[in-house]
Parts: sequence; structure tokens; C-alpha cells
Amino acid sequence: MANKPENKIIVVGGGLSGLMATLKICEGGGKVDLFSYCPVKRSHSLCAQGGINACMDTKGEHDSIYEHFDDTVYGGDFLADQLAVKGMVEAAPKLIKMFDRMGVPFTRTPEGVLDLRNFGGQKNKRTCFAGSTTGQQLLYALDEQVRRWEVKGGVKKYEFWEFIRIIKNKDGICRGIVAQNMNSMEIVSFPADVVILATGGPGQVYGRCTASTICNGSAVSSVYQQGAELGNPEFLQIHPTAIPGSDKNRLMSEACRGEGGRVWVYRKNPQTGEKERWYFLEDMYPAYGNLVPRDVASRAIYKVVVHMGLGMHNPNRVYLDLSHIPADYLERKLGGILEMYDDFVGKDPRKVPMEIFPSIHYSMGGIWVDREHHTNIPGLMASGECDYQYHGANRLGANSLLSAAYSGTISGPESLRYARSGKNGEPLTDAEMEAARQSAVDEFEKILQMNGPENAHQLHHELGDIMYKYVSVERDNNGLRECVEELKKILKRWENIGITDRGHWANQEAMFVRQLRNMIIYAMAITQSALQRDESRGAHAKIILEKDWNDMAPDLKERVTKKHGEFHFDKETGRATDDKGDLVFMERDDTKFMRTTIVKFDQENEMPVVSYREFEHSLIKPRLRNYAVAKKE
Amino acid sequence: MAEEQKKVRFVIERQDGPNEKPYTQEFDVDYRPGLNVVAALMEIQKHPVTVDGKRVAPVTWECNCLEKVCGACMMVINGKARQACCSLVDKLDQPIHLAPARTFPVIRDLLIDRSVMFESLKRIQGWVEIDGTWEVKDAPIQNPYTAQTAYEISHCMTCGCCLEACPNVGPQSDFIGPAPTVQAYLFNLHPLGKFDAPKRLNALMQKGGITSCGNSQNCVEVCPKNIKLTTYLAQLNRDVNKQALKNIFNH
Amino acid sequence: MYNVTFYLRRLHSLVGLFVLGIVILEHVFTNATSLGGPAALNGGLAMMELIPRPIFYGLEIFGIAIPLIFHAAYGIYIALQANCNPGRFGYVRNWMFTLQRWSAWYLVPFLLWHIFYLRIFTKGINGVPISYELLDSYFQNPVVVILYTIGMLAAIFHFCNGITTFCMTWGIAKGPRVQNVVSVLSMLLFAALSLVTIAFMAHYVLF
Repeated sequence: MANKPENKIIVVGGGLSGLMATLKICEGGGKVDLFSYCPVKRSHSLCAQGGINACMDTKGEHDSIYEHFDDTVYGGDFLADQLAVKGMVEAAPKLIKMFDRMGVPFTRTPEGVLDLRNFGGQKNKRTCFAGSTTGQQLLYALDEQVRRWEVKGGVKKYEFWEFIRIIKNKDGICRGIVAQNMNSMEIVSFPADVVILATGGPGQVYGRCTASTICNGSAVSSVYQQGAELGNPEFLQIHPTAIPGSDKNRLMSEACRGEGGRVWVYRKNPQTGEKERWYFLEDMYPAYGNLVPRDVASRAIYKVVVHMGLGMHNPNRVYLDLSHIPADYLERKLGGILEMYDDFVGKDPRKVPMEIFPSIHYSMGGIWVDREHHTNIPGLMASGECDYQYHGANRLGANSLLSAAYSGTISGPESLRYARSGKNGEPLTDAEMEAARQSAVDEFEKILQMNGPENAHQLHHELGDIMYKYVSVERDNNGLRECVEELKKILKRWENIGITDRGHWANQEAMFVRQLRNMIIYAMAITQSALQRDESRGAHAKIILEKDWNDMAPDLKERVTKKHGEFHFDKETGRATDDKGDLVFMERDDTKFMRTTIVKFDQENEMPVVSYREFEHSLIKPRLRNYAVAKKE
Repeated sequence: MAEEQKKVRFVIERQDGPNEKPYTQEFDVDYRPGLNVVAALMEIQKHPVTVDGKRVAPVTWECNCLEKVCGACMMVINGKARQACCSLVDKLDQPIHLAPARTFPVIRDLLIDRSVMFESLKRIQGWVEIDGTWEVKDAPIQNPYTAQTAYEISHCMTCGCCLEACPNVGPQSDFIGPAPTVQAYLFNLHPLGKFDAPKRLNALMQKGGITSCGNSQNCVEVCPKNIKLTTYLAQLNRDVNKQALKNIFNH
Repeated sequence: MYNVTFYLRRLHSLVGLFVLGIVILEHVFTNATSLGGPAALNGGLAMMELIPRPIFYGLEIFGIAIPLIFHAAYGIYIALQANCNPGRFGYVRNWMFTLQRWSAWYLVPFLLWHIFYLRIFTKGINGVPISYELLDSYFQNPVVVILYTIGMLAAIFHFCNGITTFCMTWGIAKGPRVQNVVSVLSMLLFAALSLVTIAFMAHYVLF
């Protein structure tokens, strides 16, 4: 047999998805250059706490894969590609068994089989977990297997290398990347047959969020600027209970409320005028109380603090109270995360109420991919949180680890198949590689010369403030328009950044400046697509303004009035407000918006261009999402 | 507010490159409740000016998750190796001294090169030798108590606190350190991983393996994840000795 | 390849505890008999003289000299691998670890002096037998007394703490509780042997 050309795949990102893809490629006989700007064992996947969903049906609840499928599609407000979701939920139990063989220390029942727990948006026990650090354990298992392949010679790791951009050949096929060593600052071009991006979410666009400092979406933004389409970037999950911090918002798991935690603020009793604790979630939603779904809880907390001026301010917070629950029970059920609160806040949540507020948590949107995880750029694939697949408009808890691992099992083998199909065109010429490298070097040298009055980290902080102000829990078109303008100003101000460190050794400041520009441009894509999606769906909740109302289709108007009765437009904000003082949101508009948002980058104006694309939703008929009543089988 | 803003003084040991001379710089950071060392370093990034009013390059360090799970931000704070993200200013003596963990090569400032730890994990064969990621038979059931022990050890985030504290780890010695050593036990516990236990135990017998442990037991004191390292080291000692006897008698 | 480091280190541990430990105990007990007066000690020493010479020399060479040289030489290699840091990490076990090495560093010159002066020079070359009278006059010099007392205490500490680390190294004491118990017991032994040592040293000086 003639020598088969060695298939070299570049995987950027060493989280769950990137490592899974790497393993699959190695098993398929390919070689992987694995790029990550941290040791892959420190990737953000390890922050996942709760678990990973898979229909194991070991709790006598007659759980079925179809039920998991339906829960995911329903939870995603019917914006997820149903065939893709179907593939994922079908593979889930097999993935769990694979992880079990790899040595993930899942929590077990007394008879030694995998234990399952309840999770939000699903009524059956379906979540496999390893204590309260499931993500850490899954990531470590894959990290170990990849290390094994590293020893065998299948993988070459480039840790502390930052991805800068892809390189396309003359036919526009992606055949390599430019990356920079984060210590020596050396910029190098790397050729490959296919490039897989598995770089995670863009949480840092919001500054303080539950994501790691490395989750800045810079790589995604970079390929977006090189022509990759984004899908649904306006859908960002906001977790209701996070510990606000100046460095980051730390997640406080939903399990707290599951175990009886209550959310409250102080208020003056409307009748007696006395100061009292107001358990507002229980008051507003008597049926579900503190266990309303994430988006509902986030909006309620936001309303109480921002609109009613209750709770604590600067930073905004409400109480999440566990102190009424016996300490030994808490220790058994929530030990790990309570310790974390103690570690970071310095107060014991067994004794005093925790102080929490909603925070940006996960991006459902990302690079648009087909079901095989190809982007619209041939030769470039995306998998994991950085792609838009599987979650639609809202992600169910414990589906993120699943989608990350599963997408790797798709993108990995598919990359090899594609590399061997002969469709990936000519390899890069030396001149093409050198030109790409040189342009990245020039860009970096330009950054090193920046000499303006702005501080990049300060600007990043402001970017986060703007995004939180306009594109978070509740959005309206005035605010979003305002946000677009603000972001343009921020991008302008980026030009005026001044660098204090002009050296060529471990210059984190200069690298951050480059990432920041990518973040601003990604923020524009989020904002523009949010602006153009005139409906409320999943995590995207838009308040009606007068102009929106006038343009609204009659059937939607009818649904709004049926829900809220009479309402008026607030004089100051222009927002629709009903008689109870509640904001009036747009309804879901399946006729117009049951489509994937596609965002393309307009090179000339450096602005996002939004369009919509049909997707596969033939398996489950869309129905209105209502968690106030139990889901019908 | 008439009250003057409370400041926290940081004395930071800096170093421009691996072969450069260390020097110290002092920074003041506005105090606020709950302030931790990483948050303070981020403030210094936003305003990299020393107490003498000199504008300097921002301090370089490594951090990712800020939740004490990734292990990236380990540094020496007031003499002790620990994670910077969960080091609350309120619980530290001031001024706060920051230094890189010099057990490892310093890249720049507080940024260190811990790749040796990941190399050690290769040495101890820290993985379960599965046939492949494809579907095989179900994994065997496991004793839930054993699984709990495995879960504890599997918390190790390769932060390097134990290596920094261990007197036997450093340029003077080839000891791979407590963390990678104990990881061998994790895989020996697994029902499939234990098939290769002799390989791992033999690896631990080699130079720089468990033999180099001198029982100072600093590791267990400083482990941010409270892993009972010394217990597992003793267990491994027992296993390694048994393995040695088996080797001698060609068993 | 053949895990030489491992076997040497284990041998070092065995030799320290079982061979040199016995030597230390022998020294403490023999000297303790001096508390009973010159006759008691001299009687004990005379008993030893009854051992046939070839066996006695064999014991001295294979039971003391070679183990000691090995233990010391390999011990120096081990001690050089440690960068003691009790100043930064002042935990009890770390202090023990440090003292184990410091005591070793003291013992190396001390034993060289002790063996060369008493065994090789006095007994071997000058042919003066070791007796109560000899030691009594030797320990009239306060410097010698202090150096010897420190030397004895260092050796006893090194031995007793060695029991604890032996139990860890051989996986006998696994959990923290049992390790603590072993540690406390061995320190009690250290205290007991030290008291005996101080008693007979004082006896030499005072009587």
C-alpha cells in the first residue's frame, strides 16, 4: 500500500469538546495539533457543577430518550435543530458508559451503579453527576486519555499558544491557522488538513459572568471576521443565582433552591408599613415558588431590584437563604458549593443568607454549523459551546456537558472523513503561510505601539457594563439601538488604548488588547441580532415599545392582551407596562422568527449583517412553552 | 463620603524573564469587602501604577476559573503556596506579599511553568487503558465507597501547592512530587485501571518516584482540595513494597 | 532500570531501624548500667569481651561499620535532596523532617570523632580498654560532655523519628490518626531514652 498522506487536524481549544474530537481523530488514525491558551486540564469545562443528562432510566421512572429529546427541544423554545438534538440524546447513554470506563468517579447508588438526580426543566431523574464537580471529572478523564495519545505520538499539544486566525488557501478553504506563543510572543503559521474550533463561550464579553477569564470568544469573533457565519448569538443564558464579584460572578447551583433555599428581599409591608422579608418568588409564582425556571427567576429578581428598588445595590443583590435548613442536611446535599461561598465571600451560608444576583452564564448561540459541524467556511469546523447547535433559545441544565462531549464525537470523525474526501483542496503554499503570519505580526507590532490614554482592562469593564445594561435579562429596541451606538464608540476608543508593556516576553497586556477588539466585535453581533429579533423566545425577552406594538401582527397582539389585559407605555422609558406595574413582553412569533439568526460580518463597515435561515423542526410540533403547568406527554 | 478610601498594600516580587533578577514593587489597591488577590491583581491591571507613582507594566500571572477548580492561579501569598482566587484580603496579614512559586521555573512575575507536573502524569501512566471511545461492554459496577475515595483524589487540579511546599521537590531533587504520585493510586483504584497497577507501581519505584518522599507531610497541610495525600502516599508505599517483593520473586 | 534507587532507599530504612537502632539501644543500655557504679558498667563491658574475637570483629564490621557507612553515605545523598523549609511551613511533621536531617548532619562529624577517638585511637591503637574509669575521666571536660550529650540525643531522636517515618514508608501506618499515634509513641520513647542518657551523663560528670 502506498504511503497514505498523514492527516493532520488542528484542534483549537482543549475543553470537553476539543479533547473528545482529538481522541476520535487519533482513533481514526489522524494526527492532531492541539492548541490551547492554557494547559488543557485547566479549561473552562471544569466549572460545570450539576451533571450531564443522559437517559439511563435506572430510577424506575420509565424515562425515555424521546422524553429527553422533547424536554430539550421544548426547553430550547423550539429553536434547536431537531435532528441534531435527536442525535445527541440518542448518543448520551453511550457517552456516559464511555466516561464510566475512562474512570470518571460518578456518584453511585449503594449498589454501585450510577446515581441520577433531578434537574431543571425535566421531570424525570436523568442527570448523571460526580458530586458537585461533574465537569471537572469529565474533563480530567478526557485529558488523561489525550495524554495517553500524546505519549503514543498521536497528539502534539501547543499549550499557552493563542489562536489568532485561520489561513485559507486560494480557493477559500481553511487549511491552517496562525497562532502565537504566549510566552515567547513568537507568531507561527501551522498547516493542517482541517481546523476544528472548540474554543468555548464568549462570557467575557459581559465582563463579569460565571465563565472563566479565558472564555472571551476571541477566536469565534476572529473567524467571524474572516467570514464564518454566527448562529443565534443573541441567545445568552442568564443564571438567576450567582455570587456577584468584581472579578467574576460565581455560580451558585440551582440545587440550593431545590433543597429548599428561599429568595427574599427586605421591603416595607404595603399594609402595615413595617419592614419585613418578602419572599417575592413565592409571592409572584405560588405554584412553583423558588423553583421557577431560570429565565423567569432572573427576570423576577431583576424586576424587584432594578425596577422596584428593593434588595441591595452596588452591586445589586438579593438574598438566597439556606440558614433555616439544618446544617448537617446542607452539608450532605450541598457541601461543596457552600464551602465555595465561604471561601470566596468569607461568610458561612449555613448561618447567614447568601447574596446573589443573576449573571450571564452560557451562550446558546455561536458559530453556525451544519449537523456535521462544518461551518460555512470549507475546512473549518466548530464544536462545543462555540457552535450554535443543540440548545435553541435556551439550554436545559446539564445539557451543556452533553452537547460539548457529543459534538466532539461528531466533529472529530467528520474532520477526518472530510480530510480524506479530497474536497479540502490544495495545501497552503509557503507564501500563503508567510503572508498570514506576517499580517498577524504586523497587527501585533501595531498593538505594541499603541499610545493612547485608554486602559484596555478599564475599557473591557465598560464593555461589560454596557452589555449588561442593554442586552441581558430584559431587552428593548431603544436600548439595543443605544447599545449599538455605544459599542461603536467603544470600538473607536479601542484605537486609543495605551500600552504600558511593549516587550516581547509574556506580554499579556498586548494579547488582551487584541482579544478585546474581538470581544467588542462579537458584542456587536449579539446586539444587532437581538435588535432584529422582534419577539420573546427562551433567553431573549423583549419589552414592547409603542412602535413595536403598532407594527405587531394581530394574532400576537391578541396573545399579549389576553395575558396582560390593558397596558400603557411608560412615559419615561416608553416600555409597555400593565396595570400591576409589570413589564409587557413580546410573544413568541413562530411565523416570522422560527428561524436561525445568521450573522455575517460586513468587512467594510465592520458591522454585523443579520439574516435568517430555516432549520429542521419537523419532528416535534412547536407548542407554547409554559412551565406553570406540567408538560403534557 | 468624607471617609477616606481604605487601601490594601501589595508587595509583589516581580521578574521580567526566566533569567532576570527578581525585584519587588508595591501597589495600593482600593479595599472592598470580599476582595481577593486575583481581583486585586485585576485592579492593578486597570491602573498599573506603583505606590511611588511610577507607571509600570501590569503584573503577569495565570488565572482561569476563579472558583478554585482550575488550579491556575497558585502563587506564594505571605509565604504560603495557595490559590490566589480564594485568598481573601480580609483573611491575610497586610501588607500582602506575593511571589511566584519558585519550585517551578518562573516565566515572568507570578507566572510559572508547571509543565513538569503534566509530564509526571505521563510517567505514572495516569489514565485508564481503554480500548477506545467506541461502545464496548458497560463499565463494571463499583463499590460506592471506593468511588468516593476516587472522587476525592480526582479533585486534584495540578495546581502545584504540594510541590511548592514539599522540601523534596525542587532543582536539588528529581522527585515528581505528591500530586502526580497520588494520582497513580486513583487509577489503581478503578476496576479497569487496576489491570495496569503493576506498571504504575513500577514507575513509582523509579528514580524520582515515591522513594523520594521524605514524609515531611507539608503536602497534606497545603492541599487546597483537602486531599488526604499522606494517607494515599502511605498506601502506595505499601503497594509499591508488595510489588517490589513480587518483582524479586518473579511472581 | 532495576530501580536501584528504590531498593537502596528501602535498605537505608531497614538498616537504620533494625541495625543501627540496636546499636543505639545497646549504647544507651550499656551506659545506663554506669548508674549502678563502676562495677556494673565494667562488668557489662567485660561480658562483651567474652564474645570470641572473630565474632566480635565480625559484628563490629558487618553489624556496625558497614551499615553505618552505608546509612551515612546514602543519608547524605538523601539529605542533600531536601530543601528544608520549616520557616515557611512550620507544621509539626515538617519540623520533624527538618530535625531528622539536622540531627543527621550533626551525627556525621560526631560519629567520626566518636569512633576514631574511642574505638580506633584509644582502644585500637593505644590498646586501652573502654572502662568506667576511662569514660569518667573523659567526661570531665565540659565541652566533651556537651558535644556527647547532643550527639546521643541527636542519635536517639533520629532513631525514634525514624520509627515513625519507617511506619509511613512501609505503609504500616496509613491514616493520619494511626500516624499520630505512632509519632507520639516514638516521641515518648525518645523522651525515655533521653532521660536515661541525661541521667548517666550527669552521673559521669557528678560522681
